[in-house]
This record gives sequence, C-alpha cells and structure tokens, in this order.
Amino acid sequence: MTWIMERLKELTTIVMAGGKGERLFPLTRDKAKPAIIFGGIYRIIDFTLSNCLNSGIRRIYVLSQYGSLSLDIHLRVTWDIFRADLGEFIYSVPPQQITVNRWYRGTADSIYQNLKLLDEERPKHVLILSGDHVYKMDYLAMLDFHLAKGADLTVAAVPAPRREASAFGILHVDADQRVIGFLEKPADPPGMPGNPEMSLVSMGVYIFGAETLVRELIADAKNQASQHDFGRNIIPHMVGKRKVFAYNFVEQSTGKPAYWRDIGQLDAYFQAHMDLVGERPVFDLYSEDWPMRSQLTLTPPTKYLSHKKPVDITDSLISSGCELHEAKVKRSVLSPRVRVGKGALIEEAIIWNNVRVGLGAKIRRAIIEDGVMIPPRFTIGYDPQADASRFPVTDGGVVVVPNNVTLEGP
Amino acid sequence: MKKILVVDDDDAIRMLIEMELKDEGYQVITASNAKDALKLVETEPLDLVILDIRMPGMDGLEALPRILGIKEGLKVILNTAYSQYQESFMSWAADAYLIKSADLTELKTKVKELLA
Repeated sequence: MTWIMERLKELTTIVMAGGKGERLFPLTRDKAKPAIIFGGIYRIIDFTLSNCLNSGIRRIYVLSQYGSLSLDIHLRVTWDIFRADLGEFIYSVPPQQITVNRWYRGTADSIYQNLKLLDEERPKHVLILSGDHVYKMDYLAMLDFHLAKGADLTVAAVPAPRREASAFGILHVDADQRVIGFLEKPADPPGMPGNPEMSLVSMGVYIFGAETLVRELIADAKNQASQHDFGRNIIPHMVGKRKVFAYNFVEQSTGKPAYWRDIGQLDAYFQAHMDLVGERPVFDLYSEDWPMRSQLTLTPPTKYLSHKKPVDITDSLISSGCELHEAKVKRSVLSPRVRVGKGALIEEAIIWNNVRVGLGAKIRRAIIEDGVMIPPRFTIGYDPQADASRFPVTDGGVVVVPNNVTLEGP
Repeated sequence: MKKILVVDDDDAIRMLIEMELKDEGYQVITASNAKDALKLVETEPLDLVILDIRMPGMDGLEALPRILGIKEGLKVILNTAYSQYQESFMSWAADAYLIKSADLTELKTKVKELLA
C-alpha cells in the first residue's frame, strides 16, 4: 500500500477535455463533448474519472475549454467527492491567460499553457488522459510498465480494425514493445505483423516522464509549423529519439485486447451504446470490481404498466424514473424519466432524460435529446427522406433528434 | 544588423550590457521592467532578448512565456544573479541560462552563438 501511495505522489494526472467535438454535432452544440450523456445515466467523462478513482488516483486536473460550464456543473454535481484536507482534488482548468493570451491551440498547447502547474507539483510522471473515451483501465498497471521499461513516454495501444483505424494514431512496435514508427491518422493504416486486418492504434492515453514532457512541450511551442498536438507533433517527434513504448491494453484475466472506444463521432456514439445491450454485452457496466460512478439522482423506480398487453422490453438498459405503457423496446438505452406511451415501438434507440414518446410512435436507430416530445404515431427511422428533411442523419443512417425543434404529429 | 533587447531593472548592469553589445556591433534597445519589455517585443523586430529574472512587478520567468506567446521563435537568454531558477520548468523555455557576472565574456559568446 505504501508503495502505491509513493507512486501516486509522484504522478500528476491531467484529463484533456477541451475539444469542440464538432463531429458529435448537434449533441455538442451547447456542451463539452465529455459532458454528453452516455449509457443512460453517465456522462462520457465518467468513464475516465471512474478509471482514475478505481486506480487510486484522487488528484486530477481537467483541462476544459469549449462548453466548459456543462463540464464544470457535472464535476461539481457528480465528482465533488475529493477531500482537500487529504491532498485530493479535481480541478477544472480553462485557458487562464496568465502565461499567454490565447485559447488552447491543441492538445499539447493545453498542457504547455499549464507548465506552471507542473512546476508547482513537480511530479516524476505525468498521466495524460482524454475525457471522451469509454473503457475500463487500471492506469497504475500502465505506470508499472512505464517504470519497468524506463520509458520517456508510454502510449497505451489497442488493436482496431484497419478500416476504422484511419481516425487514430497508428503505432509500429518492435518485439520489445518499443515504438519504432508512428503515423497520425493515415488514410491507409498499415496492418499489424501477423494480423493484417488490424492496426495497433494509440488510445490517446500517455504517461510521460515529467521532465521529458516539459522539454518536448517547450520545443513544440516554439515551433511555428507545429499544430501543437500530441498525435501530430509531439509523439512523432519523440519516436526514434527517445524511449517511447507501447503498452498493450489487454484484459488482465484473458490477455485479450480490452474494450476501448473513442466517442469521436455520432456513429461511434451510437455503436458504443449497442455494445452495452444484450445478455453478454461487449462492454459490461455491471462488474463490481470496477464500478463506474455517475450522478446520483433522486428518481423513483421505473414503472411498467400493462393495460391489456404486457410491456415488452428486450436487450435494453432502462434507467430509473421511467414510465412505460404497453410499449415494445428492443436494444435501446433509456435515460431517467422517459415516458413511453401505449403501443410505441422503440428499437436501437438512445433516449435521453425526460423524453416523451407518444402513443403508437415508432423510433428506430435514433438518438433523441433530453426533453424532446415525440407526438403520437410519429415515426423516426422509417422514412429516410422525411428524416433527412427534419433531422441530422449520420453516415451510418442514425437519426439525431435535437431538442431545439418542435415535432408536429402526423 | 541583429537587434537585441536587454531587460534589467539594475541601471548599471543594463547600461554595461548595452555598451558592450554595441561595441560588438549589435543594435541594442533596453527596458527596465518586464511590462515595457513586452511592449517592445510586440512592436520592435528583434533577434534576441536578454532577460533578468528578479525584477519588481512582473519577473522574468513570468515574462518569458508571454514573450514567446507574442513571438514564438524569439531567442531568449535568462541572465540572473541566482542559480536556483534553473530548476524551474518555466526557465527551461529560455535558450540559455547564465549567471550574471561583471565579465561579460560568457554572455557575449552565448549571444554570438545564438545569433549565428
């Protein structure tokens, strides 16, 4: 235990949460991406913060920028669990303009602008995380790896299908897990040795030696050609010059690659929800040894009302406080206080808080924002033309119903 | 001709550095505090800044990232009587860290090296 405490004292943890989340528009039009609802009762950042908590990390800086109020409110309401008198904290850090008069220009610049914070903390290692990933990870196991390798930088890595990998940084590693090549978001990602259909992608989870990080950030800040981004600039610059290692993110029990998703765009958001449902979900929220923390709300139990026919729910997550009347719900995720009228049919839908689904309405492959009133017999996801004329529709054909529109019944 | 800004609150040191660098053939302008220095960085074309750390008002370590925020690639030498600031991450953004001395040989060598 003492040994763990010692390591934690030498670690500063920074969660980057300032991105604009344009590819999640319209969900991000008035809030930060990490503050978006996920899995019924969570916000996306809850996964990263729960990982910190479960790893024993209780000193956390969250770098915020775009839509920061939504994030600040969530941190206050849900994560006000740290005790200052024990040296614990969670601080939200927007661009302070104390060293430079500008917004965060990129991921690397967001840390550069907070060098003073690192100077005051004087950690040996810096753990850098993102606020928009869904996974369960023990960061101290990664720190052990980082220390065992004597690395300047350790990048967490997981195999991803090659065709999806062009959204990420691709790592090329040798037999000792040393990174010998790094390509940021290549159009045609190279496959892994022995597994040409998969690429080894960077999860955007980094552990740096603190002094290495500071030197790299300063050099990057002075480089006018740089985009000041870890993936585009810092990591490629370090590969071949410094000791950069890849940490394979695997299930501790099976040794197989573990679940990790970047919720970077709407189809990924939708698909990650489909990973939650079913008897053996791809991503399991129910393990007691790695609990996910979320906002505690005082909602009554969900009520299922049968008038003549039963309520028919399969492979779905229904949060508390809902009321469902003789409806059929399949492979869907409902946030608290959703009311579903008689005869409604909901399939593969993500429905946020306080949505009302009218009698006989039909919803398929859709994301419905909080507070939307869906009129009786209204259909979403059945007529692509009608959907596209009213709502944003993703490349994958998922309809997004934002709460700034009023829906007229048929 | 290369242009150097000398920032120091000590009039004697500032004048000494100014004179010696002018003798070396550089164009030199000066500021006695960080605030004036930042204004000059914004308005004057410059090749190098020689920056004291302990100054009333804004100190040199505070001014350094601001200088680099205005002109990203501008070269800066921290020139101070104290060695302990070398430990500070904030000082690492400078191209050189020199301990002040009445003999300016080291400073002049560094200037020459950085402006080469």
